[in-house]
Amino acid sequence: MDVELRGITKRFGPVTANDDVNLTIRAGEVLGLLGENGAGKSTMMNILSGLYSPDEGQILIDGKPVDFEGPGDGIAAGIGMVHQHFMLVPVFTVAENVILGVEPTGRFDYLDLATARKQVRDINEKYGLQVDPDALIEDLPVGIQQRVEILKVLFRSAEVLILDEPTAVLTPQEVEEFFGIVKSLRDAGKAIVFITHKLHEIIEIADRINVLRGGRITGEGDPKTLTENQLAEMMVGRPVSFDVKKGPFDPKETLLEVKNLVVLRENDEIAVNHASFHVRSGEVVGIAGVQGNGQSALIEAVTGLHHVTAGSISFLGKDITNASARERHRMGMAHIPEDRHKSGMISNFTIYENMVLNTYYDDRFSNGPNIKWPEVLKTAAQYAIDFDVRTPSVYLKAGNLSGGNQQKMVVARELERETKLVIAAQPTRGLDVGSIEYIHSRLMDARDEGDGVIIVSSELDEIMSLSDRILVMFEGRIVAEFDATAGPVDKNAVGLAMAGAHE
Amino acid sequence: MLNKGRLMGGVAVATALLFGSISSAAAFTACQVTDTGGIDDAGFNQTAWKGVQDAMEAKGIEGRFLESQAETDYEANLNSLLGGACDVIITVGFLMGDATKAAAEANPDQKFSIVDFAYDPTIPNVVGQVFATEQAAFLAGYLAAGMSETGVIGTFGGINIPPVTVFMDGFVHGAEYYNEKKGTDVTVLGWDPEDKDGLFTNNFESLDDGRTFAQNLYDEGADIVMPVAGPVGLGSAALADELGTDKLKIVGVDADQYMTDTEKQNVYLTSVLKRMDATVQAVIDSVMDDTFEGGVTVGTLENDGVGLAPFHDFEDAVPAELKSEIEEIKAGIIDGSISIGG
Amino acid sequence: MTDTSNRDTLTAKLLQRAAPGRAEFEDLVIVPIFAVIVALIVGALVMLATAVDIQTIGRSYLALLQGSVGSINSLSETLTSAIPLVLAGLGLALGFRAGLFNIGAEGQIIVGGIAAVIVGFSFPGMPWIIHLPLALLAGAVAGGLYASIAGWLRAATGAHEVISTIMLNLISYRLLDYMLGLTWMQREGRSDPVSKSVVPSAELPRLLTDIDPNLRLHAGIFVMIGAVILVYWLLFKTKTGFEFRASGENPDAARYAGMRASLIIVLAMATAGALAGLAGANQVLGVLERATPGFSAGIGFDAISVALLGRSHPIGVLFAGLLFGALEAGGRQMQVDAGVSIDLIGIIQALIIVFIAAPLLVRAIFPWGFRKPAERKE
Repeated sequence: MDVELRGITKRFGPVTANDDVNLTIRAGEVLGLLGENGAGKSTMMNILSGLYSPDEGQILIDGKPVDFEGPGDGIAAGIGMVHQHFMLVPVFTVAENVILGVEPTGRFDYLDLATARKQVRDINEKYGLQVDPDALIEDLPVGIQQRVEILKVLFRSAEVLILDEPTAVLTPQEVEEFFGIVKSLRDAGKAIVFITHKLHEIIEIADRINVLRGGRITGEGDPKTLTENQLAEMMVGRPVSFDVKKGPFDPKETLLEVKNLVVLRENDEIAVNHASFHVRSGEVVGIAGVQGNGQSALIEAVTGLHHVTAGSISFLGKDITNASARERHRMGMAHIPEDRHKSGMISNFTIYENMVLNTYYDDRFSNGPNIKWPEVLKTAAQYAIDFDVRTPSVYLKAGNLSGGNQQKMVVARELERETKLVIAAQPTRGLDVGSIEYIHSRLMDARDEGDGVIIVSSELDEIMSLSDRILVMFEGRIVAEFDATAGPVDKNAVGLAMAGAHE
Repeated sequence: MLNKGRLMGGVAVATALLFGSISSAAAFTACQVTDTGGIDDAGFNQTAWKGVQDAMEAKGIEGRFLESQAETDYEANLNSLLGGACDVIITVGFLMGDATKAAAEANPDQKFSIVDFAYDPTIPNVVGQVFATEQAAFLAGYLAAGMSETGVIGTFGGINIPPVTVFMDGFVHGAEYYNEKKGTDVTVLGWDPEDKDGLFTNNFESLDDGRTFAQNLYDEGADIVMPVAGPVGLGSAALADELGTDKLKIVGVDADQYMTDTEKQNVYLTSVLKRMDATVQAVIDSVMDDTFEGGVTVGTLENDGVGLAPFHDFEDAVPAELKSEIEEIKAGIIDGSISIGG
Repeated sequence: MTDTSNRDTLTAKLLQRAAPGRAEFEDLVIVPIFAVIVALIVGALVMLATAVDIQTIGRSYLALLQGSVGSINSLSETLTSAIPLVLAGLGLALGFRAGLFNIGAEGQIIVGGIAAVIVGFSFPGMPWIIHLPLALLAGAVAGGLYASIAGWLRAATGAHEVISTIMLNLISYRLLDYMLGLTWMQREGRSDPVSKSVVPSAELPRLLTDIDPNLRLHAGIFVMIGAVILVYWLLFKTKTGFEFRASGENPDAARYAGMRASLIIVLAMATAGALAGLAGANQVLGVLERATPGFSAGIGFDAISVALLGRSHPIGVLFAGLLFGALEAGGRQMQVDAGVSIDLIGIIQALIIVFIAAPLLVRAIFPWGFRKPAERKE
């Protein structure tokens, strides 16, 4: 099935989200769609799935114009969307989730689960998805859950599959397997739209690439001839540097010393299992690992947000194992939390309030019981300028900023003070190339000025390009350490360690 | 122009409405402020209001009432009736004693009458209406003791205040008088006249409480219960209706509840009448013919200010002997030969 | 690199407060006004349905207006009714800001009132300049301590404050019954549950008795105004207020920022309880001059509506409290002039809340009052 978008324009008030977009999607082909956050990718895909109707332009399926009026129309016409955020019921089985909403029923509304399971198994085999129809969703790893989402759209007879940032949640190994599935779908004659902002992925998987910027198609090309730099320039609109500039490696005194740390989860499972490491001044330590292997608990324990069961943490020569988060913060520990929405900022607060979220009590910003708001406002404006937070005013609610600007706001707050150790968890998750470049350079500035830096990321590339030393966590333990100062680290070796293949 | 015309029209209508309300205020007006039980409590607020209604019918006067939702409303409600709109303001209930006194003293030209309260010393512009309710309740207690099959009867009150507890005093003493005369041992639950303590719901509103309290008394063996708590008693009546009158009968208070609680009228053995309608109407009459004088009026068995209601559905169930004994006792109370003090 | 002058203009631009948008204005002003109008219209329909004729309906709404703002007496009544609602409403609003759904204002009013009345009758002969503040303080402290029980239970055991405050309400009712039965508390020569009267030195003096002895407006209005200013300052100008608001908006972020959740919960509950306790003190010292069963009169529950209607903002709470006070005072006049049941006022109050809580409904009813939704996206 071929789909063509012809002259699509969509406006939201004064904002034009899509401006005269032309796009062709062909059966048996992977179309890579590249663009920064806010470039109009989502709007376009929502038009394609029937959620929005375009102000101008047409959608043609196999040459015939169609008119989608609601979100059901897209899937009815064979266009299926796999969202970045899964929409699965955790306590249901795979088969139950797949049939949810289109349950095959027998007489008297009897739910025919046997037929459903057989159909799910057939699709499974056809595309090599390897998902057990009877497994509970909550027991499955993220990578498999994603395949269930794909199963869902295939079950609904989709011929066009739109995959929105599908690799964001996967490990390198899972990405490889996932690419295998995408290829088998393509070879079976499905049309695939692969949305991402990761350049190397799109080069690897796409048969054709379209780049979107500011609501318009700004580039089109063949992945075999295009380089990452060319794509990035099309995407951002200016040349982008991928080389992280950092000064010579010159580590000094040890800042943080973690010894035999044990941290339990709320259900008393072991999250961190006798982890020991240290961080020196002027050094970047990357902690790699598949999500859920204890990195989050480790960071929370180091920053004072999680109770330590055993072991010790010392910072600047002082034992801080039982110190409060605020004490550590005051000693110069900066923490960029892994999920800014959950804990790093308050969406309903203004930007200036968020800029002092954990420094409001400081003498700089307060006087007795009062907060010195004029001082806060002035400082917030300085931070916003220094860290290129793009906003019309610091009075704006933080929730109204784009993801990249929110992250820059959080990073600004953490780095714009006297720091000794910067702990950055997923510092660039979900950000576009321009913001990533910026945040990386600020983290490296901190290192070059003599701070210790810890980076936790699920993006192995990020860890590899920034770290002086790489620790790999698996099932709560630090299972491998790589020195990156001598020469490039073997990415494959790190990936294997992440998968637990060290023994 | 069109808009202006409509606006003028609106103003005209509004003015007409305004004058409508003022001109109707020109006639003689009697105003009543209820306590928290509300105007339709099937009890003393309603009975007092019946007095106003009777006067409205007989004399063509205008009547208004204001319901209090909380004790904080008493003074506010009184205030909103001040200012000359009412020829007499009738406040209902012992609990309004303080508020009425304050308003009367601040507005010496306004005539007031309060049900269930007597001021000592009296206030020149207030008539207190009190009732020798214990006399009628004594008869009810005697009757209940004579009618009880289990030998246990019960009572409970709204709040521990004199106008409530006099019912309970009389009820207990009447039953004791029956024991004395007949050598029986009928027990009255819910009130101890000596200690001045007993069962109280502490409100005059909750029908649920009325049901619960009656249920508790029934569980303790009582087959006749007298709730002295305004509309709370309606909850007890509902319970009696469900259980059946062979298991539980109710003695009504204030009004003849056979007439006011028509849905559950079958459960009322009788009612202890407090004829506030009569005294309220008498006060209104005195204001109208300018004979109003501050002081106290007392309703007794003798002047029919209090009394026992007819037995209605139980007319045949009450033995003739018991009926005549009650008549004798009534005569004895009136002539002073029977002391009701217990 | 940005040069200095460029940087200065950029700073100035960032520090510009965006002009309050039309959407904001619509939400804060137009929606409530329309909500009141719709509620009155639906209220009229309810009256029609209960066989009240149109003339009486017109008369009753005229009475509502007259009884709330039509005369000095009406204004005095409106303000008198508004004072406890605003005080308790401020407390609840503060709790809501801190993410605590405190249903216990009623109980806190009762406990505060009991404490205030005890101090109020216990020290005859004390100069008023000491006695009155002491009685008010007693109310605030008692209400605050009572509420912090729920706060402590939440902080220490995780017991949800909705449940614990409801239970504390029930306890307070019985506590009041019990206290009013104690001989040293009861009025001399009375066995009924009425407390001794507050001595004049602890009374909140009435302010307008020179004009008309029936005007009930009392000095509690200054307590109310002071509380509005205090809560505004606390919430928006202080570190504690910042912590309250942060914890309410996002407890995880507050924890991340090093704020102590349990301390904040107890503190916020105590402050909220103190304000409700002040409302109770206000009723016994300014309106009733003694404590009686049920003196709280459901103010603690109406105050929930006041706080929600005022969008948990001190100024909003002030206006919402005044509106509710006006409805109460005007409702009385409706009864007098038109013989309409007081219950109808309750219905109209509820309708106003419903319509304000459902701005989309109001927008749908009055599409011409608002800009089109499509144009609203900026």
